[in-house]
Amino acid sequence: MRAVKTIERVLYALPIMLGVAIVVFIFIRMTPGDPVDIMMGQGGTISAGEIEQLRREFHLDEPISKQLWYFLRDAAQGDLGYSYVKKRPVTELIGTRLPATIELAGGALLIALLVAFPIGIISAVRQNSLIDRLSMSAAFVGISMPGFWLGIVLILVFSVWLRWLPVQGRIGSEIVLERITGFYTIDAVLTRNWTALSSALRHLVLPSVTLAAAVAAIVARVLRSSMLEVLRSDFVQLARAKGAPESVVVVKHALRNALIPTVTVVGLQIGVLLGGNMIIETVFGWPGLGRLVVEAIFNRDFPLIQGAVMVYALTFVLANLVVDILYTYLNPKITL
Amino acid sequence: MAAEPLLELRNLTTVFPTRRGEVTAVNAVNLRVAPGEILGIVGESGCGKSTILLSILGLVPRPGRIEQGEIFFQGKDLTNLRGRAMRSLRGRAISMIFQDPQSTLNPVFPVGEQIREAMRLHGLLDGGRRPRWLGGRRKEGEKRRVLEVMEEVGIPAPEARYRNYPHEFSGGMQQRALIAIGLVCEPALILADEPTTALDVTIQAQIIEVMRRINRDHGTSIILVTHNLALASEFCHSIAVMYAGRIVERGPVEQVVGDPQHPYTQGLLRCLPRISQRAQRIDPIPGEVPDLASLPPGCAFAPRCPVVEDGCWQAELRLRAVTPGHYARCIKYEAGERYTEEEVG
Amino acid sequence: MQTSAPVETITRRDLWQVRWTLRWRRLAEFFRELAGHPVALAGGILVLLFVLAAIFAPSITVHNPEIGSLRQRLIPPAWVEGGQAEFPLGTDMQGRDLLTRVIYGARISLLVGLLTVTVSVAVGAVLGALAGYYRGWLDTALSRFADLLMAFPFLIFAIAMMAFIGPGFGNLILALTFKGWVEFFRLSRGEIMSEKTREYVEAARALGRSNYAIIAAEILPNIIQSVFVLATLRLGFFIVTEASLSFLGLGIQPPTPAWGSMVSEGRDVMLTAWWVSTLPGVAIVLLVLSLNLFGEGLRDILDPRLKVE
Repeated sequence: MRAVKTIERVLYALPIMLGVAIVVFIFIRMTPGDPVDIMMGQGGTISAGEIEQLRREFHLDEPISKQLWYFLRDAAQGDLGYSYVKKRPVTELIGTRLPATIELAGGALLIALLVAFPIGIISAVRQNSLIDRLSMSAAFVGISMPGFWLGIVLILVFSVWLRWLPVQGRIGSEIVLERITGFYTIDAVLTRNWTALSSALRHLVLPSVTLAAAVAAIVARVLRSSMLEVLRSDFVQLARAKGAPESVVVVKHALRNALIPTVTVVGLQIGVLLGGNMIIETVFGWPGLGRLVVEAIFNRDFPLIQGAVMVYALTFVLANLVVDILYTYLNPKITL
Repeated sequence: MAAEPLLELRNLTTVFPTRRGEVTAVNAVNLRVAPGEILGIVGESGCGKSTILLSILGLVPRPGRIEQGEIFFQGKDLTNLRGRAMRSLRGRAISMIFQDPQSTLNPVFPVGEQIREAMRLHGLLDGGRRPRWLGGRRKEGEKRRVLEVMEEVGIPAPEARYRNYPHEFSGGMQQRALIAIGLVCEPALILADEPTTALDVTIQAQIIEVMRRINRDHGTSIILVTHNLALASEFCHSIAVMYAGRIVERGPVEQVVGDPQHPYTQGLLRCLPRISQRAQRIDPIPGEVPDLASLPPGCAFAPRCPVVEDGCWQAELRLRAVTPGHYARCIKYEAGERYTEEEVG
Repeated sequence: MQTSAPVETITRRDLWQVRWTLRWRRLAEFFRELAGHPVALAGGILVLLFVLAAIFAPSITVHNPEIGSLRQRLIPPAWVEGGQAEFPLGTDMQGRDLLTRVIYGARISLLVGLLTVTVSVAVGAVLGALAGYYRGWLDTALSRFADLLMAFPFLIFAIAMMAFIGPGFGNLILALTFKGWVEFFRLSRGEIMSEKTREYVEAARALGRSNYAIIAAEILPNIIQSVFVLATLRLGFFIVTEASLSFLGLGIQPPTPAWGSMVSEGRDVMLTAWWVSTLPGVAIVLLVLSLNLFGEGLRDILDPRLKVE
């Protein structure tokens, strides 16, 4: 049953992915100016002959439907175009930056969940206690705070004033680390380079905490309210009547049900993580995909922007696909 | 009544603080249940009958609390039990069947697993509480027992139903599963809180039949809480009628139903439609259940009582014997000749 | 013999009057409930203060928000050593009074936020009403389009759109509303679909009123509360998004004072003058916080079942 649902879900995501690609394709055509100039960006001057050649290369002499077809075909094969500014294929540029971004987003998601779950559960179990009131007030401020400002405040406090943590970058400049996966923390562990690991982790702390703050706040609030609802339900009372200790009642019977609405919200928060990623990478000088896009915007490097937006959107679609599949495993009632 | 009761409530009083003052949901209740006895607690909703059951299990939701009284079960006072000692009784020696099967089964676990959990929590069978990797081979033994109980409560094809989720069960099957949860540890006492209210009439009869069989085959005592006097009179050995947190009449079923003494009981009986007496019209009790937060002095039923006297508005009434074993809380027995039997509260 | 008493007829105007009396009464009741909800009230008052400050900015402050004096660069806030009472929050690297710029920044934030919300509500609610009422191909097309837009994280979409169409006030509103309407569309579509089956709509149809009249006169007033609550909560979100875009240099361009770009500019002098970038951020937090407090309070009062996270 679940396998069928899972396949259905995957099939449902395919047209969305196609639509995303089409929207991205339309984006670049909304840009005012000559398409060749746009594709070239600020990649230098070229002769009239070269323009003609590029026109053919971009299929600009063919109808727009044909152009869309070429674009989709190339994208499906992993070819997202060529950055004339960086003189590299877009896919390659994105590929080199992606590990940094995933490391940051993954760290942030991990921190967010590690913080949000205990807080959400304890606040619900001890409703209206001091810890509940304090953490829910903090969560309320958390959802009202723009990430770029929080990042700057954290840098000021922990890097500039207290000097506990580095201001910028992914790893200390003096450290040599062999590149295996591109994830510095993993590479450091693989090569048993503990100085590098400590440096990479110290660099990771502030940006991932900043990125995690809003997500943790929202997840904690949702988890708390769904826990409160579940804790009032009859089956929780039955679990107690069966003789289950309170820990089993809360974690097994209540939490397992409260996870169902929470997981959906976590899925939506991945969008916040991805969007916030550009901002946070800019604030912390994190050499990931977000910084690459921001640079590309100021270089008017449109093929690169287009490719990166596509990667972001597809990541979001995939993340929600994973969440939906997880949801079918959490909720036996789900029927598609 | 048997010499040694299985359960005895003495002066049990349970209160809920609310914004409008303290509500006494259970007010100085005395009750006895003998081994193998089926006791019915009857009353309108909000009269405190479900709170009695929760008090017995120590599950009165906060901020409610047992203010005074004792609950003796097999000679032990449950109001003194805390933590693990109390939990080891819940579901093991005393189990509870709730009102709404649809919301009482946990929607995310297979039904069979939920029945098995009741057993595992008490470390019954095979390897006890030890996990499998420490040599506990409980799973197979427990599962066999679960299937046996599912069979007993009338769930067909238990092997196939074991893995089903609650939403794949009909209402009647869900209630059977809940009864199976209550039965699986072979408790001495089952507390049934309106177990048939949410079900169709035909299913009701089947569920009652299942419970009757459990009582007969295992000698399990049952407390049935219901608003349905007809159901109680058919199923129970003895009946306690509650009004506004107090017991107003109690005794063997033949006497309470056959010869009701309290005007409230008489009113409840008049509410029942009877096929045999087609001409007799249904006669509802006028008025509403009183607000427990602001009970007037005197008899709580006085405002609705058809035979109210002047004295009813002040009298602090007690439960008096009408005949041996049959008690009523009414002004007509306060000073009358029949006031001879033991005073029970 | 004829009866002399005139037949009581209910005219359209009477109905109109009754309806408006009821609405005024509901409004009065709403304000009473608001007064009894301290959190919502506090949020509402703070929001009101921001709005008033934005409107009367020129009369509140004597400084010019865009031109400063280089001799007065980077003066710290008044409560810090070296601060001057003339510049309560200090000055920035161009010697402009920070408080003045923060107050003028409220104009931009509120203007962008309100315009975005208004357009989003108008587009979303109307399309949602049409889709939910008529269903059919229109509903399918709009819903699929909405699904598609939902596949993009909001900020990514806005950043991409601004990157392609270029910065500027109008483009900013366009980029924010292009995706902003979707939530209002979904809300109003869902509400319409459930309202449509209710008795009062059946009654109106039985009276022979046109579809358009039913939507406009009967259904919309009934879903307006939910839309209003959502609009208040989204307003804060749009303001943060605008600030984020301006922070990246994709929104409001200098020298116009926008909170996001002020934070960004201040980063260059962060090590020596912490106030330039942090204090405008405090304004964002305060405004968004009070909007969220107000919005959640409204939700408690008006529409407890609406929960959008």
